[in-house]
Amino acid sequence: MKFTLINNLQKDSAMSLILKGFLVFILLYLISNILVMNSGFGISIEDISTTLFGNEEEYIDPITEATFLEFWHTEIFFIMMILLTLNAIFIRVAKRSRIILTNILMLSAVSSLISLPLAYYISDFFVNIYVLAFFTWHFIAIYVIFYSFWKLNAKSV
Amino acid sequence: MQKAYKLSILYYLAFTLLLITSAVMLFENKIGFSYASVLEYYIGNEERFIPAKSSLGVLKIILPHIFVFGLLSMVLLHFLVFTAHRYKRNTIILIYTTFLTAILEMFTPFFILNGYEFFAYIKLFSFFVFLALVVYISWLLFYSITYD
Repeated sequence: MKFTLINNLQKDSAMSLILKGFLVFILLYLISNILVMNSGFGISIEDISTTLFGNEEEYIDPITEATFLEFWHTEIFFIMMILLTLNAIFIRVAKRSRIILTNILMLSAVSSLISLPLAYYISDFFVNIYVLAFFTWHFIAIYVIFYSFWKLNAKSV
Repeated sequence: MQKAYKLSILYYLAFTLLLITSAVMLFENKIGFSYASVLEYYIGNEERFIPAKSSLGVLKIILPHIFVFGLLSMVLLHFLVFTAHRYKRNTIILIYTTFLTAILEMFTPFFILNGYEFFAYIKLFSFFVFLALVVYISWLLFYSITYD
């Protein structure tokens, strides 16, 4: 991540353009992720509960443990790599509030990932925490993308 | 290193531990931690109606892992360059061992499929050594960030 070493990103037009392109891709990923989750795993408390525990009235079987673990495993990897790279750009361009936003972004993402197995193995109450944390980290990530984009267009970084 | 970068790396380490936890749970659920269960998963069991895996099937499973193991190892190990462990002899050994165990963990199933059943032990051994090394590297980074 050589961009962390460049003194003035705004003056380096090529690097600035590359990072803006990358931010667009992360934004597209986050929006697509919400849409795909909505049609598959679910993004509402009812839908996620149905996916995890099934629904006898509608003859829907619960997700198998192997499928659940594969989903969880994949989610962890994608989220960790996306947030590491996104946060590296954000830290580089932001001056104020970067510590607090990093904490909220990362803590909500970690909470969403921890609450998922807790919901599956322990109590369906954790589905509520998962949904809250899922939307929190997505919205903060989207804010961070727009903020970083704006700062990369500013006169000096 | 700036405080914000240190914070970001600490969270990355937390995600890494979560990834390892999920990997252990997934391995236990799909394969199992015994010699017999590893063999059964790859070469099948007629009495229990478990089909044998094909080489292509195994390749499809390990395909994303080739990229992920490489990327995860590279990201974690490259953070060591920013710590006091930079260019130490032990760090060089650690880098070699991490990549080698990752390769062994991924490719031993092909030997099992070709009749070398002993490689089931190596599969289990390399799986745990690789995860132990990732935890060890995470600990080195955590200690360096927190105390150095």
